[in-house]
Amino acid sequence: MKKRFVTKILSLLLAGTMMFSMTACGTGNGDAAGTGSSQAGDEAEEYAEADIEAPGEPFKIGVLVADATSAEALGRRHYLESYIAKAYNMEFVYSDELADSAGEKSAIDTMITNNCKAILSESAFDRPAQIEQCEEAGVYYAVGAGALESDQYENYKGYEYFVGSVGPSDNTEFETGYNMAKYYLDQGKKNFAIFGGATAYRNSMHVNRVAGMLTAMVEAGGEGASYQGMTDPGAIIGQLMADGEAKTGQIGDVTLSGYLGGYDMDDAWFAKGAEMVQANGVEVLLAVGSGSDFFGTAANGTDVKIASVDAYADDYYEAMKNGSLDYLAGKFSAYDGPVFMALYRAVNGNPLRTPDGDALALDIGYWVATSADECEEMLSVDADLTTPVWTAEELNKLYDADYATFEGFVNNYSFEMIK
Amino acid sequence: MKVRNLIFNMAPVLGLLVLVIGYFVVGTINGINVTYGLKAVVNQSVVVAVVATGAVFIYTMGSFDISLGASTAVSALVAGMVYLRTENLILTFITSICVAVLVALLNSVLAGVFNLPVFVTTIAMLSVLNALILLLININGTGSEVKVPSDAVKSLDTLGFKILILTLYFAICVFLFDYTPIGRRQKFLGGNPLCAKLTGISINKYSIIAFVICGLGVGLGAFLSIVYAPTLTRSTASSVGMDVIIAIVFGGMPVSGGAKSRIYAAVIGAFSMSFLSQIMVMFNLNSGVGQMVKAAIFLLVVFIAAGERKTRTLPR
Repeated sequence: MKKRFVTKILSLLLAGTMMFSMTACGTGNGDAAGTGSSQAGDEAEEYAEADIEAPGEPFKIGVLVADATSAEALGRRHYLESYIAKAYNMEFVYSDELADSAGEKSAIDTMITNNCKAILSESAFDRPAQIEQCEEAGVYYAVGAGALESDQYENYKGYEYFVGSVGPSDNTEFETGYNMAKYYLDQGKKNFAIFGGATAYRNSMHVNRVAGMLTAMVEAGGEGASYQGMTDPGAIIGQLMADGEAKTGQIGDVTLSGYLGGYDMDDAWFAKGAEMVQANGVEVLLAVGSGSDFFGTAANGTDVKIASVDAYADDYYEAMKNGSLDYLAGKFSAYDGPVFMALYRAVNGNPLRTPDGDALALDIGYWVATSADECEEMLSVDADLTTPVWTAEELNKLYDADYATFEGFVNNYSFEMIK
Repeated sequence: MKVRNLIFNMAPVLGLLVLVIGYFVVGTINGINVTYGLKAVVNQSVVVAVVATGAVFIYTMGSFDISLGASTAVSALVAGMVYLRTENLILTFITSICVAVLVALLNSVLAGVFNLPVFVTTIAMLSVLNALILLLININGTGSEVKVPSDAVKSLDTLGFKILILTLYFAICVFLFDYTPIGRRQKFLGGNPLCAKLTGISINKYSIIAFVICGLGVGLGAFLSIVYAPTLTRSTASSVGMDVIIAIVFGGMPVSGGAKSRIYAAVIGAFSMSFLSQIMVMFNLNSGVGQMVKAAIFLLVVFIAAGERKTRTLPR
């Protein structure tokens, strides 16, 4: 009898363990909108409460995320949930980490069911479908920390419920890659490797960053230098879109020794990354994402410099101090402040449009640190829990602002202007 | 005794009823948009319900197909590529069905030829299909997606169309399962394969029939996936395989198949899961806690069902 009981209990425990893993893997669509506090909110220190009177009525905003764990994603989530939510008495309903367009649609359905009056999208599997879905449901929609591709913007800029986007445009992404490569080319570096990330999936943001890097190499490569016979940035972007990767080889007297794309993140992928970083002669690894996280260990003990694009976080400051990161183009936590205000205005009956009556398409760039000291200074401004980069007081000034004032505010994003 | 049996037999339906009432009560108290929520529930359930209804035929025989999600994805991708070349939705629909049935046939024929348990061939098929998904996406040249224009399928992305497909397929399955020798013999095979074989029932034949019916469901599920989210990626339908298993068990289907198998288990389970998910969100349970609550309820269902079966002999 006792044996049978123990067997039963053990079976239950085993089944429970299996079931937990099954439900964790499954129900990707049905459970797409998770709620509650963020990881960042649970672990990070809280912002000081802003002593302001909110100019409008509070409501719920659904946030679609394809990346829920990077420093960039956590920092921005913390700002929204710990600062904006308190200052404006708002509630942010975050999706689970989305993996496809069906997940996005399902999450929007669940958010609308739960009375979200606006959707802030940081997931780009199918933005046209998201915009159409929100337009049909009469729910305001904006793109956070990113931008629509230009043809998509042209299609949807007139939609009533499409508020727009506030984030890096393709041009800004191109310049980010260009400036990163130029920084090292100006130092006389000649041998590079590139981590192209989602270029493999024809992601416009990453393609533009890689194209910027290659264009800088073409310019520095001397007379007759070209990438695959091309010197025009538009042609290089087109070629990267077609190939899904950058081809290694000589660009004049600059050498592109190694290239790795995708986010397979299995053993073979990391081995290829290590091989790329440790190859003879490589001086700099230019990464479209977090180079130090993925390849910092492989670069240990070499003289290879790593340059990344991500966000300001303690880990990157530590990486810069210990030399595993040399250059950081990063977003700051308050990046979503203006796009929040654009949504807040729209839901409160005070929508902001361009002078032509179109949705917003405002550009924000990155803060660039090239030393641990610079990184520390930027991090301290970004992580200031009393006075975030964009405070509620400053955002409130945008509540009744015209387009030019709003645009001017967003354009003043640089560290020099903020500090 | 009769009342007790009735309660056990009706438990999944009662469970769904409780969840529906809970959804409306909690939803009304929380002031959520319950009408819109019903649309979300249908959207979230319909693909799993269709695929799982077909899968009941396989489960009834005591078998198991782990490759259903991947098969749905491959069918959707091939059908999506056919649309991009022909811009013909009917051809897209037919392709979706044909590819899924072909994969299902391959599964069952391989099991018959090599005399392997069907489950084993579906594991191998899962790897092949996953590789095929990557290959298809790369062949398409975009690296990450096969994008059917949303305008092309927008007119079909309605509750009416989805419910129509589910109802028609469900009606066919109910007919085959409850009113023809196919269902009865498959239950016999699931309950006692040796005995069924000795009475002249061919395991291979009924296995092939089960897989073809299931393939039809997978094809329909793939088409509905295209209609709902026409941008197809490597993650398309990635959760369907696991959701099908959960839905079938949630709906009261015995995992060992046999005489107590119920064709309606899949639909009940799929909708129960979606209502449960909606209720979790209303309670502000984050996904981790929600998954644990679901796991606990799942265990309870299996425990009660297993306990009930142990106390009784086969239905007579």
